[in-house]
Amino acid sequence: MKKFRFALVGMVAVVALSLSACSGGGSSGSAASGQATFNPNEKVTLNMTWWGNADRASRYAEAIKAFNVKYPNVTVQTSFAAWADYWPARSTEAASHSLPDVMQFDLSYIREYSQNGQLLDLQSYVDNHTIDLSTFDPNLVKSGSLSGKQVGIPTSTNTLAMFINEPVLKQLGISLPDTSTYTWADYNTFLAKAAAAGAKSSDGHQLYGGNDYTGTFWFFIQWLLQKGITPFKDDGTLGFTKSDVVDFLNLTGNLRSAKQLYPIDRQVALTPKDGFTTNEAASEMSWDNFLAQFSTDSGSTIKIVPLPSVDTGKKDLFYKPSMLLASGANTKHAAAAATLINFLLNDPQVGSIFGTSKGVPAAKAQRDAIKADPSSIDGQVIAYEEQVAKQVTKPTPLPVKGFGTIEAKWLSLAQDLDYGKTTPSDLADQWFAEAAIDMK
Amino acid sequence: MTTVSAPPADAPNSVDSARLRRVGRARRGGRSLIFHLVALGLTVVVLYPGVWMIVSMFKPSHSIVGDPSLVPHQASLDNVVAALSGIGGISFWTFVRNSVLLGVASVVGVVFSCSLAAYAFARVSFRGRGVLFSLMIGTLLLPFHVVIIPQYILFNQLGLVNTFVPLLLGKFLAVDAFFVFLMVQFMRNLPRQLDEAARIDGAGHIRIFFSIMVPLMKPAFITSSIFAFIWSWNDFLGPLIYLKRPDLYTLPIALRLYVDQTTVSDYGAQMAMAVLALVPVLLFFLVFQRYLVEGVATQGLKG
Amino acid sequence: MMTTHLERSAGPAVRSSSSSATVRRRRKRAELLAGYGFLTPWLLGFVLLTLGPMIASLYLAFTDYNLFSNPTWAGLANFTRLFHDPDYIQSWKVTAGYVLIGTPLKLAAALVVAMLLNAKRRGQGFYRSAFYAPSLIGASVSVAIVWKAMFIDGGIVDQVGQFFGAAPGGWVGNPSKTLPMLILLTVWQFGAPMVIFLAGLKQIPRELYEAASIDGAGPLRKFRSITVPMLSPVLFFNLLLETIHAFQIFASAFIISNGTGGPARSTLFYTLYLYQRGFVSFQMGYAAAMAWVLVLVVGVITAILFRSSRTWVHYSGEMR
Repeated sequence: MKKFRFALVGMVAVVALSLSACSGGGSSGSAASGQATFNPNEKVTLNMTWWGNADRASRYAEAIKAFNVKYPNVTVQTSFAAWADYWPARSTEAASHSLPDVMQFDLSYIREYSQNGQLLDLQSYVDNHTIDLSTFDPNLVKSGSLSGKQVGIPTSTNTLAMFINEPVLKQLGISLPDTSTYTWADYNTFLAKAAAAGAKSSDGHQLYGGNDYTGTFWFFIQWLLQKGITPFKDDGTLGFTKSDVVDFLNLTGNLRSAKQLYPIDRQVALTPKDGFTTNEAASEMSWDNFLAQFSTDSGSTIKIVPLPSVDTGKKDLFYKPSMLLASGANTKHAAAAATLINFLLNDPQVGSIFGTSKGVPAAKAQRDAIKADPSSIDGQVIAYEEQVAKQVTKPTPLPVKGFGTIEAKWLSLAQDLDYGKTTPSDLADQWFAEAAIDMK
Repeated sequence: MTTVSAPPADAPNSVDSARLRRVGRARRGGRSLIFHLVALGLTVVVLYPGVWMIVSMFKPSHSIVGDPSLVPHQASLDNVVAALSGIGGISFWTFVRNSVLLGVASVVGVVFSCSLAAYAFARVSFRGRGVLFSLMIGTLLLPFHVVIIPQYILFNQLGLVNTFVPLLLGKFLAVDAFFVFLMVQFMRNLPRQLDEAARIDGAGHIRIFFSIMVPLMKPAFITSSIFAFIWSWNDFLGPLIYLKRPDLYTLPIALRLYVDQTTVSDYGAQMAMAVLALVPVLLFFLVFQRYLVEGVATQGLKG
Repeated sequence: MMTTHLERSAGPAVRSSSSSATVRRRRKRAELLAGYGFLTPWLLGFVLLTLGPMIASLYLAFTDYNLFSNPTWAGLANFTRLFHDPDYIQSWKVTAGYVLIGTPLKLAAALVVAMLLNAKRRGQGFYRSAFYAPSLIGASVSVAIVWKAMFIDGGIVDQVGQFFGAAPGGWVGNPSKTLPMLILLTVWQFGAPMVIFLAGLKQIPRELYEAASIDGAGPLRKFRSITVPMLSPVLFFNLLLETIHAFQIFASAFIISNGTGGPARSTLFYTLYLYQRGFVSFQMGYAAAMAWVLVLVVGVITAILFRSSRTWVHYSGEMR
């Protein structure tokens, strides 16, 4: 009996130890076939993944069909997920060194994955022209480069914009301030006037000017840039302090207490839509490529205009790569992956398939291919970026490690603030405490 | 069903008893009426959400939320069609297939492994049985939180994430103590003479198990199969952490994809898909309700 | 290895003592082998999927681990962080509220309806099945979606509420109403414990009630002195299982709050928060610490329930 018991304990110990043992030696992984050139006659299967919805999925399907016309020997197996599921899935793959050959990537996670050596360095493929970046803005390309390695290449650009729901604005009966010169204070006045107008929707809900914009982390980043503060330092630490956070949150402090912002409980109840897309709020800020989604969701005419600024007219905008393409460092078909990436980045057909649904394409050939009618949604987005191009004066802020979590934390705490369950000062304290842990 | 019980046998005399019987019947009739009113009323309240869900499937998307009526004004199959067309190129039937595969495999695993374990606990006397039995019951009371993380790490290191293995391995290793317990209880009720008779004939445990126990265990197997299938069908957390590719999703996860942030919200299709996802469960219920209810009932008695 | 001599045989022992001892030993060995043989799947499962992971997660609870790199020892850091984590404290508040209010309500409903149905009336089988049905589907994603649609702004509950004079506004966006909404969802599933109560009630001999009636006992007295004591084993069983079950709520909270635990963290149940920390942010050491705190708490509650059961649970001679 004793013998058996020892055996049992032994078994348990072995299992327990193996479970907590290291996950097969973190970084460096398997070196991909470095500078191998792509052989179009070789039969290769690549796997590729992206986040998005059914609409994006069908566009990718078309794009891959076009790819296969040119490269019939490369089979592309695709999968996709919703944004919320995408990153846990990548994390899991990263831990078992099985990241896909090609994947859509986001700025918020690039630092983390790159630091852990999870992403393939595409520089050699840029150098040997497998990937052609000649028509790309060099500053934009830099946003995908870390520690000298080109770990991701931006597909398209985004910049922040203000969206106006024209029918709602008309119902409110007030006018928007001059959007080329208005300040945050002017915007707040607009919101107050809109709430006071007392207009109601057809099913009796009150109409508002907009929601509490201080709840979105990226708008805080934009505001910091306008104040001349660098949000993220090169060493990966935060460049702002608690008082900056509190000042920003207090921008809408009066509106919040006077209940002149779109009510948070209705906002929550309407998820995944919100007040703006339900035609109950006149304005909302977001990335410029959201024009398509806003138009479809609301069914109304949506206008795209510039954001407010701290100092009149000085917008200090930045281009954010709306998404990048990257490849897992563990890939066994680096050259083929690079070829697919190049096709998706540069091929004009791909440009016209996606339009501006991912943002304004970075490659000139794709922008030209969109040939958009200025009144179409694609046309409007491109026109907007051209219009504000001169105002894009800041480099892309490169998110710190753990950005995804701290961004979500900001949103959750801001919601508490809107429900009146916390104060800006407490919010700042809690947020900084969380950031300290997540950025470790 | 049951009949109204007859009046007591020691009624005084025939005239009195007839009158008493009439009064008694009237009173019982009255009480019966109240009973049925209350019970029926409660049934309506309890079943309302289910019926509303099914009816909403046929209503146009924009009129679902505010409309409590159980009769659709503009009935149409549009929502059902939308739900059946799948998500992002993956057909609805793929999700059904995944759920069915997991469900059936779970049933096989549970019946196989739990019956073996139950036999050991119920019919074999060996050193340590008591301790191990208590441990098994203990796992019924153990919150799963404390095992999911290392299990996930283990399966991840073995490269088994994005496969069905993590979701099925436990079924084949009798991890679900509920079923072991159920079968043990059932076996304890089977007469030992059968075992002993077989033993006299020279049968060993293996023979006794397969030739005697298994055929007699049918009701327990049926009950276990139904529960195992339904629980597997409705499982959410397991598929959520282990299945990351849409073509592997089960119905509950696919349902969630529908409701996700980046798509336009479509209540009609959501309702349709929610109902379709429950169809097998409801079917099982309608056909096998007897087993289900009795299975649950006996569980509590020896508890 | 087959013996022809049964251990419980009534016949006189014929063999001499030493060889019967050998026989017994051989028999015992055969039983041992058979026992563990049949238990092999279960043993594997227990070690590989229960005991092993439990020990591993106990270890992880004292480390920082994010799946990417090896676990680094953190001592008690996770535990101290827990007690200063406002989200963690909130998750206890939410979960405790749900368990302490939801479970008794659900059991009360189950008992009341079981007593209602415990009469020889027509249609009993129908009602029993009807009330049981929600238990089968209640925890599913489908029902969570339906529940949300019913409790949303302008939804059915909102309209009914306004009809009775309540302020307009759905429950989904209101942090003070989301927990009641989820409690209602669990109470709606009273069918499963009800079925168990019903079975228990049927086992109570009618003579007891009749005798009590003759002694002049009213319904309340009968309930207190007969029903409750006779039902106490079943009551204990239901209480124990439902309580432990309530701690593990996940799918409904996840779907209704979109995985956020909102609004304003009013649906941040323990399991949901653990999922967020462990499987979204991949702070697995922290999540493991959370898991073990839960095990300890549930263990204490279970021990208390078992202890207290000695005072109020009456096992009659037949029932074990």
